[in-house]
Formats: sequence, structure tokens, C-alpha cells
Amino acid sequence: MTRKVILHVGTPKTGTSYLQHVLFKNKRLLGEHGILYPADRFDAHFLAALDLMRLPWGGLEREAVGAWDRLAAEVRDWGGTTAVISHEILAGASRSQVGRALESLGHQRDGSGVEVHLVLSVRDLVRQIPAEWQENVKHRSGMSYARFLARITDPARNSRIASWFWSVQEVPEILDRWGADLPPERIHLVTVPSPGGAPDLLWKRFSQAFGLEGIDLVLEDERVNPSLGVPETALIRRINRSANRVLEPADYRPLVRELLAHQTLSRRVLSPRLALPPAQVPWVAEREAAFVAEIERRGYDVVGDLDDLRGNPTLHPYVDPDKPRERDVAGAAVDAIKALLLENARMRGEEARLQAELDETRHALSRSYLRPSYRAREKAVKGLARSRVGRGLLGAYRLARGRSSRSA
Amino acid sequence: MLIRDSSYEEAVSAWAAHLRAGGTTPWAAWEAVDAADRGRYLPGAQQLELLRRLNQAGHPSAALADSVLAASAAGRGRPDLELAGAVPESAFGPAPVDPAALPAGELVRVAASLLADQVADAGLPEPEVRRRASWWRRGYRLVGDPELADPLRDQLVARGRPPGGREPRVLVVGSDLATMTAHAWTHRAFTEGVNAWREWLRQLQERREVPARADLLAVCRAWERRVGKARVHVVLDLGAVPRLAGDRRSLAAPEPLAGEAGELARRVGSVLGLLVLPDARETLLTTRLRPRVEQAARSLPRTSALVVPPEARDWVEGAAERMREGIKRAGYAVHGDLDDLVPRWSAPAGTGGGPAPQATLDLAVRVLLDERADVGRTA
Repeated sequence: MTRKVILHVGTPKTGTSYLQHVLFKNKRLLGEHGILYPADRFDAHFLAALDLMRLPWGGLEREAVGAWDRLAAEVRDWGGTTAVISHEILAGASRSQVGRALESLGHQRDGSGVEVHLVLSVRDLVRQIPAEWQENVKHRSGMSYARFLARITDPARNSRIASWFWSVQEVPEILDRWGADLPPERIHLVTVPSPGGAPDLLWKRFSQAFGLEGIDLVLEDERVNPSLGVPETALIRRINRSANRVLEPADYRPLVRELLAHQTLSRRVLSPRLALPPAQVPWVAEREAAFVAEIERRGYDVVGDLDDLRGNPTLHPYVDPDKPRERDVAGAAVDAIKALLLENARMRGEEARLQAELDETRHALSRSYLRPSYRAREKAVKGLARSRVGRGLLGAYRLARGRSSRSA
Repeated sequence: MLIRDSSYEEAVSAWAAHLRAGGTTPWAAWEAVDAADRGRYLPGAQQLELLRRLNQAGHPSAALADSVLAASAAGRGRPDLELAGAVPESAFGPAPVDPAALPAGELVRVAASLLADQVADAGLPEPEVRRRASWWRRGYRLVGDPELADPLRDQLVARGRPPGGREPRVLVVGSDLATMTAHAWTHRAFTEGVNAWREWLRQLQERREVPARADLLAVCRAWERRVGKARVHVVLDLGAVPRLAGDRRSLAAPEPLAGEAGELARRVGSVLGLLVLPDARETLLTTRLRPRVEQAARSLPRTSALVVPPEARDWVEGAAERMREGIKRAGYAVHGDLDDLVPRWSAPAGTGGGPAPQATLDLAVRVLLDERADVGRTA
């Protein structure tokens, strides 16, 4: 039976996809060390999170039905010592959903059940705010950056954007929900290093928080969720505004999010990067300082440096993504058109190949229909099927042949 | 470790106990702080206020009260909210609220989650054993607007006249296109799911599409290919249906369902999609939820039929005129007046905002209170 569950609940945009890729890639090796990563794909716990949180998500509901209970059962039944669950949207779970999750994993409020360790990876708001807007744009949003900022700075937080943003980014409040039943020493905060640090520093921190040090894991080479620059994000936003209502979600994901955003536009690394508008800097700095003070006060286990949560607003010069340089957007658009042309050419080739295969199959089928014996048999069956006696004979014949199903 | 003032917990637990016992005192008027057991977690303002509304409207069972307090609001939106006035305002999290002032939509989110649980727990009904059509009776098929065709067909089936039979007449039933469009939305809400009313209409308009279930001309053409033109009848006068289906007795006219009923089904369906597979979802919405919603909607005066908003009226009229001309040109047998396909706008141009949130909440409360009706059907 599992003795320890490491529950990594976010936050988004803190290297979570990278971590999940590494865990998935090394699933067998981890198993040999008594650690379970119960997943059939790197982000399998996304479906379990949707199920737990009852979140409809672009038609994925079908796959999510019962996913959390299956995951919890797998964790409970594990013969090793430790199980790892990781998905960033879990950060937004409500109190009752957290209660259900902990209970289903075998955690008892009196501490007698399974030992749950909560891991929350966190990054400064200076980077998180533009990253969350960009993520919204990559999920079909046509909202301008200015409007996004207005929504998340509205104290009422009534909008869907604001309630979601803060539910997955306001660190002390996330820990109120997830950590209410856990002692502070079992709550581990992994801070994302400030830009310019050693490239493997974040992984080392994850490794320490998850107890993976000493295991020779194969790491990923590439970033799995690359970011876009200012003109590229502006372009995707314009595409969303124009095509959203006529492009089905099932087509949007492979064509816009994957092909255009991730595979094409993210390669344009020389474009200006998204940043925080100077007018928002004081307010954000105040929020960050409040987060740091509260975390210090509560005495959680911090893996990394709490100062990483104080962002550097001067890292990238601010370029307004709502008013980008049109020349830059045109350059990004040409790259996008080229990618779509190449994809279209590839699909035309595939269509021609499938058409040839279909023609060949049809031809073979019609050759078999044309055989005289087939025609005679078809005529006999049709004739017999017209009368009750004939149908009885056919039934007896099929029974004798050992086939109980009716002919098509 | 709970980062919260303990007196807040005591006050909320006491109010929750009061509500669990059937109390209706609003949070703003609540003063007692009696000792009360608290569960694993404190309910949010949405859950507590929904239970208070249920208590105001009727007598929820203890099991229902407990499930309300343990529920979460489904989907995206505001998280569980704290109650204003009992706790010093925190520097983190959404601002505490007066539960009585919460928007109706927030309470509907919780109610939809609970109803989804209830219909999923009710399980799938036993499949109906349909009798075969007697060979000497006139065969028929009832297709077209499903909100008209389905109840009429059900009545005929109840009279021992199931659809089908030898060389059936295909009766394509409908009414004006505005009504059929509203029916198509309602039907989708109770089956595969649909966007909000105005959003759905806007998408149709942009794609220049008539909803498939309201497109009588397309239905006629599809059936013409299968059975030939002579057997396809367009029926706009519903009184002609029994005669054309070979039954002498008249049929009760289908009762229109309020827009709020579709809205509630839409919200419940979106949660139910995470609890059961799509086929079961449709069956549960149709057989478990719909009868409860229909029954509750009848007793609510504030619900109203869906109205096509002014910005979509030209488009609906144009599509209806094209449909009328298409049917006339194709030469299908028509029962009723083809001009009836073109809507006559009786509602003032200022209406058409879609289902009202407060009326949707009132309906959800009635349906939740009707929990015993579902238990009866399940048995």
C-alpha cells in the first residue's frame, strides 16, 4: 500500500509540463525505486483533474469520466512506497473538491492515513501575468491585454478570467484550500528561479521536493510549452477573433495551438517578449511582497529562494501587444501562412494516397461481386428471404455453419 | 492548519446547522454562534445560500441538504466564497460576500452540479419494448421539429400506433422558423449539449446555417431520397397529424417548454458530461431530468418562451422565406399554410435576451425539491 503521496497541484506556467514529461519518460525507472507515476501519457492527470473539478474542457469530457477515481484507486493500490500526482489546474480546486481528493487518496484528518505531501511550484507575477494572458490567447481568447489586465485587477474578481486567474495564481489562497488539513512541513513550495540562473536549477529543486535525488533520470532536452513573442501573440489573437466562430475546437487545437503557435511562431525568438506594463508594476510588486510575507509567516518548506517571487519588471522592455509593430505581425503572418501551406500540401499528399487505396479496395470489391458464384448465391439468398419457409431454411443453414448472426 | 479565524468557523458552522434544520434566516440577520459540528470543510456562500433558497421554497430532505453543503459549483467561475461580516477581510482570496446578494447564476452552478449527480445516480431506465406496427394499419413516420414530433409520436405510441409499418407516410412537422429554432436549441440542451442561446444564434447567423432540426426542406429532401416524394408530407397544421397517421382521435398539442428549462438542462448536461458517457448523458437528460423540469416549469409563472432577439430576426425571416419557396418549388404535399413558416413577431423588439437567470434558479430549486419524483421513477 502507498505510504506517501506527492500531490503537485500547480501553479500553471512553472515548468509543470517539463516535470510531467520527465516523470512519464522515467516511469519504469521510478517504479524500480518504489515511486509510482500512474499515467499512460505525460499529462494524463489533466483528465483526472477535469473530472475532480467538474470542468468541461473543449470536448474532453468523455475521456475524463471517472478519471479521478481510477487515478486514486491506482495510487491506493500501489505496492511501492510513494505515488506522484501532478497537474497544474488542480490549483483551482474548491475546498470540497480538495476534501474529496484527499479522502480518495486515503488521507485522514487525524494524520493516521496516507502521508500527503503537497507541492506547489510558484513563479513571480511579473512573468505569470503576461504568461497567463498568452495561455488564454492560445486557448481561443480574443481578449486584448489591456482588457485582461483590467479584469484581473478588478477587486470584485467577478469575471470568469479573474476568478480563474487568481484561483490558480494566488499562492496563499491556494494553500488555504489545499493545505487546510496538512501540517506546514508537508507543504513544499518550489520557486522558479529568476531568469539568468543555471538552466537545470528548476529541475534540481523539483528533484529535491519530490525526493528524486539520487535517481539517474533521463531529462528532456527541449522546452515542451514554448512561449510566444509580442507580434506572434497579437497574430494568434487576431486569428482567434476572425476564425473562432467558424473553427471547431477539435480543429483549433492541432491547427492553431499546435501547428501555428507551438511549432511555428514560437521559433521566432528574436521578437520582443511579453512584459508587464510599467503602470502595473507597483501594484504587482505589492502583491508579490504580500505573498512572500505570508509564506514566511506560515512556515512552509520552501525549496529555492523566496526572493524568486519578486519579479524583475525591467527584464524585457515593454511593448504593447495590443498595438504591435505591424511589420512584425506581417512577418509572423508570413511564417504562419507558409506553415499552413506546407501542412496543406502534406494533407493533399495524404488524401491522394488514401484515395488511391480506396480506389484499389473498391476495385477489388467489385471484382469479387462480379464473380458468377457470388451472383448466384446472392440471388438464392434473396429468393429464400422472401418466404417464411425460405427464411427458416436460411436460418437452419446458418446454424449448421455455426454462424448465428444475420447476414448484413 | 486552517488559516482562518476560529470564530468565523463557528459562526458559519452554526448557520449551516440552522439551514440544515430547515432554517431560512439570511446570513445578514444571523446572530447566534451556537456550537455546531463542522464537517471536513466549510461550505461556501453559494452552497449555503442555495440551501436557504431551498428551505424558503419547500422542505428539502436531510440527504439533499447535506449534498448541497458538500457540493461544489461546477465549471469555471467564482470559487467557494467566504461570508461577509464574520471574518476580518483577508489580504488574499476573493472578497467575502453577502450570500443573499449573490447573482442567481452562481447558485445555478451549484444546483446544476447537484442535479447532474441526481440524474446520474438515478441510472438509465429499462429499455422500452416497442410493439411492432400492425400490418393493416397506416404506416407513418413523424419527423421534423423534434419538440413537436416527439410528443405527438409518444401519444400515438401510447395508443398502440408505433411509427413504421408498411410504406409509411413521412410526416414532416413544423411551425414558424423562429419557434422551430428555439425548439432546436431546447432539444439540443436536452441531448448533445449547446452553447448559450444568444451565442448559439450568433454562430448560426455567421455560418448562415439553419439549425438542422429546424430545416424542414433538408428533412424533406433526405426522406424523399429514401421513400420518394409522394410519401413525404409537410405538416404545419398539427391537427392533421392523427388523420395522416391513420388515427381518428385528436392529439394533445405539445406544450412549449420555457427557455429557462433549456438553460437548466444545458447547465446540468455540461456537468453530466463529466459523470457519464455521451449516450448515457442524452438518455439521462431526456428520461430523468426532462420530466422533472417539465413538471416544475408548469408551476412557475415567471418562466418564459425563448424569443429570437431583434438582431437575428431579419436572418430568420430570410431563411424562412427561402424554406417556404424551396418546399413550394419541390412540390411536397403540404397540410396547413406554408406562409406559417415565416415568423410573425408578437414579442416586442426589445425582448429576446434569452433565459432569465433568476427564473432559471427558481426552476432549479423546484426541480431539486422534486427529488422524490425521481426516486419514484427509478424504482
